[in-house]
Amino acid sequence: MLSALIWLPVIGALAITLLPQSQSKKGAIIVASAILILDVLLLKQFDTNLAAFQLSENLPWLENIGLNYSLGVDGLSLPLVALNGLLTWLIICFCENQIKERFKLFQVLMLLIHAGVSGAMLSTNTLLFVLFYELVLIPLYLIIAVWGGLQRSYAAMKFLIFTAVSGILILAGFLALGWLTANPTPIFDYSTLQTLSLPLEVQITLLVVLLLGFSIKAPFVPFHSWLPDTYVESATPTVMMLGGIVAKLGTYGLFRFCVGLFPDAWALLAPYIAIWAGLGVLYGAMVAISQKDIKRMVAYSSIGHMSYILLAAAAATPLSLIGGIGQMVSHGLVLALLFYLVGVIEEKVGTRDLDLLNGLLNPLRGLPTTSALLILGGMASAGIPGLVGFIAEFLVFQGTFTKFPIPTIFSIIGTGLTAVYFVILLNRTCFGKLDNATAYYPKVSGLEQLPALILTGLIIFLGVQPVWLVKWSEKATVKIAEQSESKLLVSQVLNESLTSPLIKN
Amino acid sequence: MAWFKIKTIVNYANYAQTQEITMTTIVDIAVNNEGFSTLVTAVSAASLVEALQSPGPFTVFAPNDAAFAKLPPGTITTLVQNIPQLARILTYHVVAGKYKKEDLIGVKSLISLEGSQIDLDISEEGFEANNATVIAADIEADNGVIHVIDTVMLMRPHWFYPIMESGKVGV
Amino acid sequence: MTATLVPPTTQLPPSNHPYADVIHRLEAGGSMLPDTPENLMQIIGLYKAYAVPMDFYWRDLLYIAEQVFLEPLPAFKYFLPQEYLDLRNHYAGDDADWRFWRGEATAHPELLEFMSKGELNTKIPKLFHHLYHDRINMEFAEECMRAMFWHRNMGGELEPYMDSEEYRQNADRAIRAYFKNNPIMLGLYKLFPELFLEQCRQSTMTSVLGLFWEIMAPVFFEMSDVYDEGGFKGVPDAMNFLVSGIFAIAGRPIYHRVNIRGEWFEIVPKSKGFTWLYEAAFPYVEAVFYRTSPFRGTKSYNAQANEVPKDQNDFHYGILYADKFPVGSAGIPPTLLHQDMYHFLPQYLVDYYKQFCRGEDDTLIQLGVSFQRSMYNVTSAVIQAGRAAFLYPLDDPNPKHLLANRHYFEGQLNRFCNPKYEMDKAARIGMVQDQNYR
Repeated sequence: MLSALIWLPVIGALAITLLPQSQSKKGAIIVASAILILDVLLLKQFDTNLAAFQLSENLPWLENIGLNYSLGVDGLSLPLVALNGLLTWLIICFCENQIKERFKLFQVLMLLIHAGVSGAMLSTNTLLFVLFYELVLIPLYLIIAVWGGLQRSYAAMKFLIFTAVSGILILAGFLALGWLTANPTPIFDYSTLQTLSLPLEVQITLLVVLLLGFSIKAPFVPFHSWLPDTYVESATPTVMMLGGIVAKLGTYGLFRFCVGLFPDAWALLAPYIAIWAGLGVLYGAMVAISQKDIKRMVAYSSIGHMSYILLAAAAATPLSLIGGIGQMVSHGLVLALLFYLVGVIEEKVGTRDLDLLNGLLNPLRGLPTTSALLILGGMASAGIPGLVGFIAEFLVFQGTFTKFPIPTIFSIIGTGLTAVYFVILLNRTCFGKLDNATAYYPKVSGLEQLPALILTGLIIFLGVQPVWLVKWSEKATVKIAEQSESKLLVSQVLNESLTSPLIKN
Repeated sequence: MAWFKIKTIVNYANYAQTQEITMTTIVDIAVNNEGFSTLVTAVSAASLVEALQSPGPFTVFAPNDAAFAKLPPGTITTLVQNIPQLARILTYHVVAGKYKKEDLIGVKSLISLEGSQIDLDISEEGFEANNATVIAADIEADNGVIHVIDTVMLMRPHWFYPIMESGKVGV
Repeated sequence: MTATLVPPTTQLPPSNHPYADVIHRLEAGGSMLPDTPENLMQIIGLYKAYAVPMDFYWRDLLYIAEQVFLEPLPAFKYFLPQEYLDLRNHYAGDDADWRFWRGEATAHPELLEFMSKGELNTKIPKLFHHLYHDRINMEFAEECMRAMFWHRNMGGELEPYMDSEEYRQNADRAIRAYFKNNPIMLGLYKLFPELFLEQCRQSTMTSVLGLFWEIMAPVFFEMSDVYDEGGFKGVPDAMNFLVSGIFAIAGRPIYHRVNIRGEWFEIVPKSKGFTWLYEAAFPYVEAVFYRTSPFRGTKSYNAQANEVPKDQNDFHYGILYADKFPVGSAGIPPTLLHQDMYHFLPQYLVDYYKQFCRGEDDTLIQLGVSFQRSMYNVTSAVIQAGRAAFLYPLDDPNPKHLLANRHYFEGQLNRFCNPKYEMDKAARIGMVQDQNYR
């Protein structure tokens, strides 16, 4: 089942290359729908009572370096895999009109990205993770560079460099980890690594390396400078994918490998990380307030909201971890919605400038449904109750407040500031009067509304019935939190230079 | 041509006066001359005949038949169907007092019997009242003087003057 | 703006006005609206679409002024009785005082059909149509009346008359008769006489507006018929038809009488001599085309915001300055009129609108823009009629006279160039010169 999730898109992509241009969309829709159905089956098959990896597959591959093809899904990766499937399906079925040419190449690249992300999230072998992580890079670079704004080649190159560096850091971290715990072959199997322990200084060093790598990917301030350019210059479906799920590779890595593998080092660094996260939220919000380009504003909003996940990880309580995973999904949905709507506005109105946009809620000549959904999306991002954003943010704050009150307060202020820039956005864009001289916009068709409606429906549904968001992750997060607690206790009780009997001096 | 006719009438009127036959009022002059038939009809319809025969004195700006003919069709019909409205237009052409042309040099406006003002412009080029040109001035009657005009005058509303000012001054 | 300049046709040098093209066109006998076949089609179509609801408006306004009068809770004032539907328009039909329209003097057949079926296209009792708001939007007519009442300083002689002792006596007689066996209302009248007097004045304005539109409806119907026969060669022709109409009816009396239990009480008698031109036409154009009042939701009523002018003469919210795009927004009464006109558009306009912008979806806005053009044409007719009445003919040989004409035209157009409160940006005269403004 899990292999199918990875290889079906790859085989599908190869099959589509053989199809003629006119048939390629049909083929892609079939593949994406199949993946979505598999995801639903996976959700059904998943046992929410188990904390360990389920549906595992293990194929020995390169035994001597420790790279095995081992897959598994647990409460952390499942929601993200489902999100991946949903976003890919939406993009492939409905976002064609933003892609003006070379559809076939687009469908192929998108499916490859999907496969890479799925692979990374499903692998339980750290080297396999890095392999899939790097695999995502080239199709993504191509997709950014081929379709997008005027500066897209610059943005794509910047993205490539930053993400490559991130990949190198992660690879270095995992290799070091593997060799340091070697027995005698380096260990890259996640479950095994979880049981091992290293000296605290070593842990801290490795943790910092991995943390840096994932911070560039997520991104967290101050490694975020690739994000505004990349998100703004990419085409709408690209940025939906990027912001919606690819960025989550960073936070997934954070949860899985930083918190999961180095609990005591993490517990030591947690207070500083929490403050870092709080400042990141404030930074993202304040820079967003000053933006004049609505797409750039949403991009900075994305940076701010990712820092909530960092805060949740820092606290590492069960509640905050659930909140963090919830925020990953919520942020994915909301960001995809916002970027899609901004894309529609740019396409129909011709501009993204806040000073020029006005009056889009006009029922006859404006974009009323798009604007209404934009209002809902803004509300969701700002954490208004009734929508999924509130659930995620509330869980995060609830989970982190007891441990790190000051950073939590910063983040709550950040939520308030989110409302500020969204009100600025909505006030200028949706309300007011249309300019008589220029307001002759084409109509938004029903098919163009559909992805936004589906995303909004999910945002409302999960906001009202949050159990469907959190029930997958409860057991897994408890396990991660427990580990962190127990390791913390152990490291506090014994002295610092604890070594494993397995390591030969 | 009209001047000769009027001179004749005036002479006759003077003769009539010296003979103490009748008074030549403004109405008589209008009735006895060609070119005022529409005016006479209107005045009789509006029951203003007696008023214009009274001692007065009056200054009447009298539109001739050509002036009435310039009005678009239906204007007179509607007015004749509605006597008070017709009376208003007609009394607008009458000023209390006897003002010959030389009396009016330098006078900017007069107030008509109707109550609204008539703007005057007297220069070497001509004698104008509102947008009408006086084609024959100073026709004397016993109870006043007639100035014959070539356009029916309509009351200028109060908003007219600021508009004209604004047009002269510029944006 | 069009690229080709309109050269002056008179012997005067070219005008220096920002809208010099329009000035030259007016001096040549044209309209503020450019003379194109598309413009002609749009304005005639909208005249026809406007005239059908107008037929209802004038009848109901007279019903409200004459019969409803001071009813404190007039829940059924929009339920026009058959008597008023059959009331003969004085300017149509065989027995007309001056026949403008070749058609019948009673209510227009399209109007009757809409009143019985409504937009729902089913025959249900009138009360349900009314409650569902599937009817002619009389609220617009009342808003026009209120605008004329608020800007009553534009009236000629009627305005001071409404404050005179004679009017007060007439009103007093009528009020006492109306509330004859009603001690509560009579007691209220003793306590607050000014209140009832002001309501009576409002009723007078209702009558004035009703009498105004009684003329305009047959004029517009006739224009539509003439256009269908091909009788108009261009926009100036249509405008001149209006100018002749204005002159023909200028002397029509303006009055207000109330029917109280079968007896007619004159509040503003015909014998006072108030005329249609001075008491209805000019005030209406000024109050409804130029001024009206700021629509709630579009302007801040906050005094510190300084968005609403302190001087009533500076009000600039009429059709000539209107932003046509916010249609259907609550608090903008002209959109009610657009809804009415939408029901009676001639087929050639329905087909025309399908080709542009969003086709059927934004017909309301497209017809709103066409309506704006048509009202610019009516305003041009009123301006030309004013010129003909108070100034000189267009082909006058005397250059002093022509200069006076030009001052007049420029003074009129200066109202669209006033930078105060951004009136010059709000005025749509520049935009209607462009055919692509839809």
